[in-house]
Amino acid sequence: MKIRAQYAMVLNLDKCIGCHTCSIPCKNVWTNRDGAEYMWFNNVECKPGIGYPKKWENQEIHKGGWHLNGDTLQLKAGGRIHKGLNIFHNPDLPVIDDYYEPWNYDYARLIESPKRKHQPSVRPHSRLTGKPIDLKWGPNWEDDLAGLGETGAGDANFKNLEIATYLQFRNVFMFWLPRLCEHCLNPACVASCPSGALYKREEDGIVLVDQERCRGWRYCVSGCPYKKVYFNWKTGRAEKCIFCYPRVEAGLTTLCAHSCVGRIRYVGVLLYDLDRIAETAAAPSDQDVYPAHLDILLDPNDPDIERAAASQGIAPNMLAAAKKSPVYALIKDWRLALPLHPEFRTLPMVWYVPPLSPVSRQIDPSQEADAIDRMRIPITYLANLLTAGDEAPVRMALQRLAAVRRYMRTQRVEKQADTGVLDAVGLDEETVAKIYRLLALARLEDRFVLPTKSVVQDEDSYARQGCCGFGEAL
Amino acid sequence: MDLSYTLVFTVFPYLCLTTFVVGHSYRYVTDRYAWNARSSQLLDNKSLRWGTVLFHLGIILTFLGHAGGLLIPQKYYDLFGITSQMHLAIAHWMGEVVGIAALAGCLLLLRRRLTNDRVRAAGSVNDLITLGGLTLVVAGGVYNVFFGNYNVLDSVAPWIRGIVFFSPEPELMRPVPLGFKIHVTLAWALLGFSPFSRLVHIWSAPVFYFFRNPILFRRNPELTRKVVDSRS
Repeated sequence: MKIRAQYAMVLNLDKCIGCHTCSIPCKNVWTNRDGAEYMWFNNVECKPGIGYPKKWENQEIHKGGWHLNGDTLQLKAGGRIHKGLNIFHNPDLPVIDDYYEPWNYDYARLIESPKRKHQPSVRPHSRLTGKPIDLKWGPNWEDDLAGLGETGAGDANFKNLEIATYLQFRNVFMFWLPRLCEHCLNPACVASCPSGALYKREEDGIVLVDQERCRGWRYCVSGCPYKKVYFNWKTGRAEKCIFCYPRVEAGLTTLCAHSCVGRIRYVGVLLYDLDRIAETAAAPSDQDVYPAHLDILLDPNDPDIERAAASQGIAPNMLAAAKKSPVYALIKDWRLALPLHPEFRTLPMVWYVPPLSPVSRQIDPSQEADAIDRMRIPITYLANLLTAGDEAPVRMALQRLAAVRRYMRTQRVEKQADTGVLDAVGLDEETVAKIYRLLALARLEDRFVLPTKSVVQDEDSYARQGCCGFGEAL
Repeated sequence: MDLSYTLVFTVFPYLCLTTFVVGHSYRYVTDRYAWNARSSQLLDNKSLRWGTVLFHLGIILTFLGHAGGLLIPQKYYDLFGITSQMHLAIAHWMGEVVGIAALAGCLLLLRRRLTNDRVRAAGSVNDLITLGGLTLVVAGGVYNVFFGNYNVLDSVAPWIRGIVFFSPEPELMRPVPLGFKIHVTLAWALLGFSPFSRLVHIWSAPVFYFFRNPILFRRNPELTRKVVDSRS
């Protein structure tokens, strides 16, 4: 057993209101530059929809992630031979129109325009060419289901569902899916990079692009099944979400998580077994990947694991953070959070609590169906999104969420706690209290448990006083 | 000895070669951040495909052909029974095929770079000079292989070997037709210009990709010391 630590994030979709506040500080701090203006390290997609870039979930188009070839795990696009043969032209690369052509407005026209019969107006112009463009697509074009009638059929999560039914106005459903780099345990971008520029930080699992080593081969862009590595057209290099590592090293959480007004995000440390990554990613069927993934996440409160982790060099503060990790509780203890598209086999580390939704009248109420099955958002859709189509874990997570609500209502409003609903979903009162606390009340320090970066303290700090800084120029 | 021949066929090649060697090394050491191919595939994919594939295959095979034909003296070919006539015939036919491929690629890329709004806006003057220079050198080469009809094995080849092995003999170039003179001179100029352009990516062929682990980890070197500390 080889233990590694990994930062992970959980997003509670049940509480996401689609305000895009997470995207804004990320944009302002990391991608507010020419060449990066079309990149959204964090974006919020409205589901159903084809997303950003268009149809990123359909791996038949850009061939991201891994697949099983017989028993062996291979990059979907093809391994070394494929890269070698196609090194001059990546046949699977999305083009900028799949994201959107970035644009800007010439606001000066409003105040500089000479007096005319009509008011001056600003027109969008392309940030690539500077010429005026007609806007036909943007990073958030599908928000609030805009254009669902046209694009909805392209949503890969409608697999095994009657799309036409859910495109009818009375059956329509929606929720938001904030997306960022998954900082996968088995990252396809890293495996795709011919230059070896992408790597995973051993101490915390953050996946980064070495900007001095990136030669712009672009295979990470198509190789990432989540399409979260971007190509800077100005510098000719790849860029991606850096999990705000300068903040995380200082013990602060990421900008997207910190700014979330709905407080839907949880960030913490997980321990996992590196030796079992290969077999986990190569699980026999797509639906086996999620359980196998859960299985290699190690319990930091198990004394054996703790001892092994310490002896293998996991920093003490990292271990301490892992022991009170909110994400471990959501992912493993309570099984509320589920991975995004585990069938891509990259073992993603940004997980999602599925959203509850209003009970629809679509099914005859006389039928003895579970209320969970009568929710507006079809379980099958969520299962296609989160568990490779396996409905059982999604149903369990939703039932638990519903049970917590029901129990809390009986306890707080009806003053008669109904523990019956808990037994049905395998929870006890103590656990429910913890779930309720974390999902509804948790404060900053409960939601984000991040250790500061370990630093070497073996030198005399006084000896180094004045050794760094701005020097005599100031 | 004619001064102009010394200048053009000894001094100028060495000037360019020195810039080439020093320039690439210096840039690799000091400017790793800008060391890449500056692909524009993201901006326009369709018009790139044939141009880039034809150009790269053509130019790499052309390079191998030049290296094999010019740097290895004919006497070694004779050892394997390849007479200079066979050598010339092979060079001629292969040169025509790969030269045309490289030239077609160049022209497709040049058209794309000049007519595609996005590619033109994202590109720089440097990119245009690079591609224009490549097109001129390749076009000169193709012209020579089709219409030159001249045995380079006894003149240009020993002259190039003289440059490479530091015993330059510019007089060897005297009987060479003008087309070849222009081609080699432009080629030296392009070599000299290459360290200042995106051509630096020629050194970045991803050889290690074929041998390395798929997933790479890097450890903060400071933390390695920390581990030792915490154990003690």
